Amino acid sequence: MRILLIVFAPVIGGLIVGFERIIRARMQRRIGPPLFQPFYDFLKLADKRKMMVHSSHAFLGLMHFISLWFALAVLLLGGDLILVIFLHLLSTSLLILAGFSTRSVFSHLGANRTAISVLAYEPVLIVIAVSIFMLTGSFTAASVFSYPAPLLFKMPLAFIALLLILPIKMKKSPFDVADAHQEITGGVELEFSGIFYEAVFTAKWLDYIFCYTLVYLFAGSNVTLGIALIGFVFFFTNALDNSTARVNYKQMLRFSLAVSFSLAFVNLIINILL
Amino acid sequence: MQLSLNSLFIVPVIVSGLLLILPSGIARILITITSLLLAALSLYLFCNIQDTYFFSVAPYLNEVVTAFDILLLLFFGWLALQRKNWLVGLLTIAQLGTVLYLIMVLPVQDTEQFMVDKLSAFMFLLINIISGVIAIYSLRYIEEEDCSPFRRKYFLSILFWFIAVMNLLVSTDNLEYFFLFFELTTLASFLFISFRKDEVAIANAFTALWMNQLGGLAILVAICFITANGYGAITFTNLLAHASAAGILLPLALLCIAALVKGAQMPFSKWLLGAMVAPTPVSALLHSSTMVKIAPFMILRLSPALKDTPVAMVVIALTGFVFVAAGIEALAQDNFKRILAHSTIALLALMIMMSAIGSPLTMVAALTLIMFHGISKSMLFLNAGILERVFHFKLASDMDRLGETGPFTSLVLTIGFMSLLIPPFGVFMGKWLSIETLGAFASSTKLFGACIIVAVACGGAILSLLYFKVLGLLIARSGVRDKIRFEKTGVVYSGTIWFLMGLTIASTLSLPLLLINCFVPVTNEILGTSLAVVITGWNLQIGAITLPLLPLLIAFFLLPGTIVAAMFIRFNNVDRVKEYTCGEKIDYSFSSFYFSTDQVTRYFSAVGVLFFVALIIVAVF
Repeated sequence: MRILLIVFAPVIGGLIVGFERIIRARMQRRIGPPLFQPFYDFLKLADKRKMMVHSSHAFLGLMHFISLWFALAVLLLGGDLILVIFLHLLSTSLLILAGFSTRSVFSHLGANRTAISVLAYEPVLIVIAVSIFMLTGSFTAASVFSYPAPLLFKMPLAFIALLLILPIKMKKSPFDVADAHQEITGGVELEFSGIFYEAVFTAKWLDYIFCYTLVYLFAGSNVTLGIALIGFVFFFTNALDNSTARVNYKQMLRFSLAVSFSLAFVNLIINILL
Repeated sequence: MQLSLNSLFIVPVIVSGLLLILPSGIARILITITSLLLAALSLYLFCNIQDTYFFSVAPYLNEVVTAFDILLLLFFGWLALQRKNWLVGLLTIAQLGTVLYLIMVLPVQDTEQFMVDKLSAFMFLLINIISGVIAIYSLRYIEEEDCSPFRRKYFLSILFWFIAVMNLLVSTDNLEYFFLFFELTTLASFLFISFRKDEVAIANAFTALWMNQLGGLAILVAICFITANGYGAITFTNLLAHASAAGILLPLALLCIAALVKGAQMPFSKWLLGAMVAPTPVSALLHSSTMVKIAPFMILRLSPALKDTPVAMVVIALTGFVFVAAGIEALAQDNFKRILAHSTIALLALMIMMSAIGSPLTMVAALTLIMFHGISKSMLFLNAGILERVFHFKLASDMDRLGETGPFTSLVLTIGFMSLLIPPFGVFMGKWLSIETLGAFASSTKLFGACIIVAVACGGAILSLLYFKVLGLLIARSGVRDKIRFEKTGVVYSGTIWFLMGLTIASTLSLPLLLINCFVPVTNEILGTSLAVVITGWNLQIGAITLPLLPLLIAFFLLPGTIVAAMFIRFNNVDRVKEYTCGEKIDYSFSSFYFSTDQVTRYFSAVGVLFFVALIIVAVF
């Protein structure tokens, strides 16, 4: 089951993106694209003439996708959460480096903003992982998957903290500063094209699976609750995306460190004291 | 054993003397041979040491040590008079007074003054190998220095003399001897920092002097309290034997202060930052392997007594603060060496914290960090020297397109920074071990532990941001020059760098072996525990922690492998285009990004002072 999920992660991620576009459109009283639209885009991109700025840049984009897939695999196979967080961080770092490697101002801006996003969400994730350790006595995701009681009821504040940083990771408004299309035209993505863009484009689908797996962790071994949580987060992030305007990166950083981080921290203290 | 130990102490001193008189051709051969010899000796000692090995020296040497103490202090006093630096003068008088008092009250020392255990042997290994490499590198570096031939010889001479002092320092048991060697390293840093003799260099050297003198004074006062409290001999072993005696906290706190000053923790970080004006091999020597590592070394020595005391808690809190604060300060820096210096301070804080927590796993984490940080940082600093000498860069933002003009230097810098950041390089493993072990620490210390975890998590994220910034500069290229041709920097430069790079990669790949044969045995000896390392399939089990080796191995090829490969890989069948940048046709000049952190950084020193005051207060009450 998990192996299947790992192998087909990009496909499932693509379906989620397709579904998301429909839901978002319906929220705006539009019909929206067909469910398979992301795959049609994928096929169209594959057919384009191959172009690149230089090889290092293209290669880093490609490896961003592969290393993200690897981080996801470690998470789904029940690996160590701290290791997973770092692996995810580093796969993002490959994208950041790709952004810095070109001489394009939008690429640089995007890379800077991505790096700051990492600063905004990484401490929160680590604190959540430590809270999980306090509860289960282990840092591995496997111990969470087999934990009898859902974590949600034991660490609700951590869940809220996660909910508040997910828009940063999924690049959703109000925290989509890293690829803000209207401002910096996609940031890091801008200089990729053709099949190299494909890698960066599909990596986002993988990121969705990664985020929803983090959400699923809060259900422990309760599958029904897990699915319900994913459904809730799905609607929540899309509703939020539709109803808010983008903030700037300073506001994002301040909010994330002041609100999300404090929530996660209070949760950690409660977990330690109880 | 005794012979090889003695040679570790005496050979560098003799070489140091010879270097002053020998012509440079012979000196070159001598330095190379000595470096190899010292490395071999330390390796031999590390492999052969089983139990703690005590030995004493002839009684008349006690008098010699005292005489040297006084001579050294008189020299400091003379320096103070010459510059009319009252702070140094005052501290010297205080030190001199305490030394004279101690001469009167101290009973005759008949115990063994030296103690060599696995921890000392571990330090020998680090000191001699890294300093040897630095010495060889200095041969070329100092040739290009703008100074008289005698001063060149003099530089190499103090370098070897410093190695001898460091070797002695890590094998001393007697605190009076320890004080002398501690002050001699202070003298070494003074001479090194003031080497260029300009106004800034001398001012910074005096800052380093008074700060480190404060550390020396703390050791002397600690000796006074040990004698006054009637614990008996003034040795580390005896101090640890009285771990639960009344009034032990004050001498422990004072020794911690000495360690924290040497380890450049805030507010004493200024001396290390000021040391950047010295020739680059000095920065490498002071920062990476040797001098600042005295701090975690001292705490490791004391940790059985320190563990779970209020003093340890304050030290942990202070280092937690410094880990974050130094990272924040580093974000505003552009000077390449200063970036490295700030990250040294941050990582030292982590090492000291891990040593002060004192559980077996945190000690393993501390030792891992000490070793890998030493290798990586010396490589980075030596490269910073090459940047200055060959490429004439000092600022990080100048490095734009270094990937094309100096691919080899850029490659080495990339590997160096990655080894501080990316799994599975050692420093990362150290950080990872730290977070995992802090979980257990927080279960016992509750709120306090939670705050420390938060500090480590935030500090880690800030340092990542810093390293990405530099890595981003290193990987930037315009794509105009596609062929990679390694630049020629000369055999001495490239040889030492290749060696350190090989060492970084080899030690990373052999981490499980190092854990089994090095870090864990050393920890077991310090704490008297029997922590075991078990390898089952692809998992490495140390105590309660399981390291999954397979993901780490894959990560090694995937992450650092990718970044290195990105510099070399070429897709030939893909069309090349100029950057699109939305059709903008302006020629941009790219540099780096900074954060203005002045609003917060100005309070850091004050907070640091508060922690030091707290350290004394908790020790007294």
